Amino acid sequence: MGLFIQVLLDGLWAGMLYGLIAAGLSLIWGVMDVINFAHGEFLMAAMYLSFFLGFLLKIDPVISWIASGAFLFVLGMLTYKLVVKRTLGKAMAPLLATFGLAMVLKNVAMNRFTPNFRILSGTIMEGRVINLGNVIIPVPNLVTALFSLVVLGLLYWMLTRTRFGWAVQATAMDPEAARLMGVNTERISLLVFGIGGACVGVAGGLLPSYLATHPDVGTLFGLIAFMVVAMGGFGSIPGALLAAIMIGLVESFAGFYIAPVFKYVAVFGIYIVVIMIRPKGLFGW
Amino acid sequence: MRKRTLVLVMMAVLVIIAGAQEKIIKIGTLFPLTGPVATAGQRCTAAVETIADIINGVYPNLDLPIAKKAGLLDGYKIVLVKADHQGKPDVAKSEAERLYGQENVFAIIGCYNSAATKPASAVAERLEKIFMCGASSSAALTERDFKYFFRLAPTDRIESYEFVEWFQELNKSRNANIKTAAVIYENTEFGKHAADEAKAASAKAGIKIVADVPFTPGATNLNSEIQRLKAANADALFGAVLGADYSLMVRTMKQANWKPKIAINYCSGYQDPNIAQQLGQDGWYFMGSAGYTPEFGMRFMKAVAPVEEYFKKKVNVPFDSNSIQEAVAMYVLALAIEKAGSLDTEKVAEVLRTTTFDSPLSMGGKVAFESPGGQNIKAQSVISQIQNGKYVTVYPYEYKDGDAVYPMPSW
Repeated sequence: MGLFIQVLLDGLWAGMLYGLIAAGLSLIWGVMDVINFAHGEFLMAAMYLSFFLGFLLKIDPVISWIASGAFLFVLGMLTYKLVVKRTLGKAMAPLLATFGLAMVLKNVAMNRFTPNFRILSGTIMEGRVINLGNVIIPVPNLVTALFSLVVLGLLYWMLTRTRFGWAVQATAMDPEAARLMGVNTERISLLVFGIGGACVGVAGGLLPSYLATHPDVGTLFGLIAFMVVAMGGFGSIPGALLAAIMIGLVESFAGFYIAPVFKYVAVFGIYIVVIMIRPKGLFGW
Repeated sequence: MRKRTLVLVMMAVLVIIAGAQEKIIKIGTLFPLTGPVATAGQRCTAAVETIADIINGVYPNLDLPIAKKAGLLDGYKIVLVKADHQGKPDVAKSEAERLYGQENVFAIIGCYNSAATKPASAVAERLEKIFMCGASSSAALTERDFKYFFRLAPTDRIESYEFVEWFQELNKSRNANIKTAAVIYENTEFGKHAADEAKAASAKAGIKIVADVPFTPGATNLNSEIQRLKAANADALFGAVLGADYSLMVRTMKQANWKPKIAINYCSGYQDPNIAQQLGQDGWYFMGSAGYTPEFGMRFMKAVAPVEEYFKKKVNVPFDSNSIQEAVAMYVLALAIEKAGSLDTEKVAEVLRTTTFDSPLSMGGKVAFESPGGQNIKAQSVISQIQNGKYVTVYPYEYKDGDAVYPMPSW
């Protein structure tokens, strides 16, 4: 039984992390309907910032997530201003432009920081675990899960309970009508990109506590984030959280009870099944 | 008339310059310069580059015959054409075709990843061109009876039998009681072959494999993989885990509060001095095969240290077991060209097949390739363990510079 609960918890932690990473994408792609293909590279950029703050200035990831979040807020807004805005409404152009941005970010990281794996040692959370009999709860994963709940909860609250959130939804549904109602859609889009960036920045700020930083680190996370948003349903924050947890659990149980090498097969398999049965995703509009 | 003379003179000068420029030997390097194991690939490229620099210049301080004069034959310079296969077999194949077909390289040195070396060397064999392989360790590579493929590193099979011999020695001398083993490996050509060899060697020695755990390279986590290992709780763990995955594996083992009595690694993240350093104490007491460590070099391979200084200027770290094999690949190829006395591929390949080379950069000091197949039958490796942040050679005993810490202390 202890082993079953351990596998369950491992899946839960992985799922919550995916949820945290996907939160920003859920806002940008899910709500605003703009694809940001550089989402995984945003995560990588945030991880590098957190790593260097830890390595050079001895600022722990439990603090440096604030800086990573702020940095990615700015990067998100810059991405909108310089890349997305100029390509909006031109069919595949935003998708291809952000794909190009992803390549640029990855290669800049490769060029500036080399492909070396950078591991942050001696962090506050490093190696800390809570022992509950046969079950081990790693503190970094627990903290990440709590951040995931808080960030997704705040996003949900912002979208459904604030005037800004209603303006975001209005802008996503019909920008022209929103403008006629006095919504500054330009400012809304800019802020959505900023907030979306900040969300992934928070995730990237925390990750160096237990994951090596390197130029390719965001690739698979980015792919899974896309799956989380599509599976959860565009525009649904609770859907994204549920989908992320489902993916984490499927990955963990398939990896342990079927075969480790099967875990991503199962994850992508469940995604295909959900999308076939419910193309709009679990909680899609 | 004068104009015509001038044109003729200029053409003659151009022909002379072109002729002079022709005195080059193009060698392709094909490594993963981007992707999850890019660090290793860049070091391998730098190692080949170091030897090429030594060949092209005069370095009287180095105890290598190629360092005493500039160039090969009567003044041919080595020019490297660097290519990146990104760790992808399909890219390796197309890049090998480009290097031989369009860049007209005389030989390729590569590819680090066995999965990439396999298709790239098949291109070489089809075109009857030389392929020098430094570090790829899959035994399958030299079981194809290729005539133009030459591999320096010991194979996973040689290492597996050495690992199991070490377990038996520990059982005998330290009552280690190693009866069961588990295997964790990346699901690639390299990982699968290493795991197969580990299982075969264990079976012969009566060691039971209780967990067989492949994983996807670049995974977001290794939780279920390590939980499987923990559930099986084998005495020994064989690992074929590269790059960042190795650090993730070690940290996840710590998180799960599990360690076997002994963990031993093939050519992997274990051998990366940066990873070993950054993991700090978490990386201590793991073991692995090594074709070279700086500590070992100081004692048994004295010619390496001055060469290593030039290498360090490029990448800021000493040679590791993989990069030094690529350096030896360039070195032996240069010796073969010199001995053949020409740039005829057939003649150089024949020298490679039939000669025992003196190689001060190799453990054991000799290189000789079996033919066909191309395995270096003089290849040797030792088993090292990271103790207090340093690679300590623990087996075979004639090379040891410290006793093994056994069993691994718990987290």
